[in-house]
Amino acid sequence: MNATNLTIGKNVVVTDFDGGEGILVDLNTKRYYQLNETAMLVWRGLEQGKSVNEIVNDVTASYEVEPEHATTSVQRLLDSFQTYKLVSAK
Amino acid sequence: MALTDLRGWMPADAVVVNGRPGLTWMDMSGVRLAEPFFQQTVDKLKATDPNRLELFTEFDTLVQLEKQFDSVPPSGFIFHSSRCGSTLLANACRALDGAVVLSEPPAVDKLIARFITDVDENRTKETLYSIFLRAVVSALGQKRFGDERHLFLKFACCSVSQIERIRRIWPNVPWVFLYRDPVETIVSNIQNLPAWLQDEDHRVLASITGTSPDEVAAMTPEELCARAIGSFFATACGAHRIANDRALLLNYSQLTLTEIANVLEFFGVKPAAAERETIARQIQKYSKAASGERAFIADAEAKQLAASDLVHEMAKRWANSSYQLLEQYRGGNQSS
Repeated sequence: MNATNLTIGKNVVVTDFDGGEGILVDLNTKRYYQLNETAMLVWRGLEQGKSVNEIVNDVTASYEVEPEHATTSVQRLLDSFQTYKLVSAK
Repeated sequence: MALTDLRGWMPADAVVVNGRPGLTWMDMSGVRLAEPFFQQTVDKLKATDPNRLELFTEFDTLVQLEKQFDSVPPSGFIFHSSRCGSTLLANACRALDGAVVLSEPPAVDKLIARFITDVDENRTKETLYSIFLRAVVSALGQKRFGDERHLFLKFACCSVSQIERIRRIWPNVPWVFLYRDPVETIVSNIQNLPAWLQDEDHRVLASITGTSPDEVAAMTPEELCARAIGSFFATACGAHRIANDRALLLNYSQLTLTEIANVLEFFGVKPAAAERETIARQIQKYSKAASGERAFIADAEAKQLAASDLVHEMAKRWANSSYQLLEQYRGGNQSS
């Protein structure tokens, strides 16, 4: 699956904090989600319409992590975003 | 009402309405924060213009708005241990051209209190309140007239207990901590008991004094005040040690025109001659009167004479050692 197949919900607001972390606010549910630095990197990749591979590359460029492990982590995060309806398939 | 319609509105208070935490906003278009305290401006507005609009929003609105405001970033923070000249310093900041001075705005200090009352091991809440705090300051620091260039924020005294969390949000903003001889501070507070010492939700003071709410409830005002200011002093000592060139310690006894001008320069603003004249006039007035017409009377000696044995005992037990440490650090400040 390409990340570019996912659309960020119009009801979601992101704000960064402390250099890398961030908070997602779902304005419909009034729920807040804290994102660590890696999750923010993935979210920013989504915002920029990057593919999964490009996001994985961003992660491996920023952290000492094997591509396979990064791919699994990125995919798991994207699934979570979908589960919580923060993003949806185009 | 669209979000864009809230430009020029300011968060007047942090409240909980029907179980929903959020902010009360007030239409403050065209209103300068001219009074010594933010709340005095709000009270004056309510008295003179009772039809001025107010609105409640939850915090998510604030997060959205932060991205839309054109705001002045903070130039300097004023922390203090109560009754020690911080209002005078805030008024001096207000004398500067293009300055916005936020003096103890309730929304700011109530959000800071939630670091104590509503943050546990869960770091998400700490991050959330930090983001709300940043956004509230941004909302309060909006460019509403177009001539704003400096933003100064004076916190309520209890907020110094959370200085490390505040510094995490604004690590590069210089700050000053004002303090005064503990006996004089306690006497001043006992003679005219402030709201923070009468707070019936004792959790904040329990955290500050390292006790339980029940213990706070059982303390005499003298003991509670002495333990609180002792804690403020100790916290400021610790923060000053880490902050180095971003922090300045200032004793009430130093509050001269020259020292005040030095603080303003430390905040990055060199007062012009006319501004120095305004500040010189302010020093002669009682700083907390909204009218600005009451004369200032030096009272250090009178406060010492008025101190009871209990005040002396509590100051000695709870505040003197951290006060002396601050004085040592201040000496280091001056020699460096």
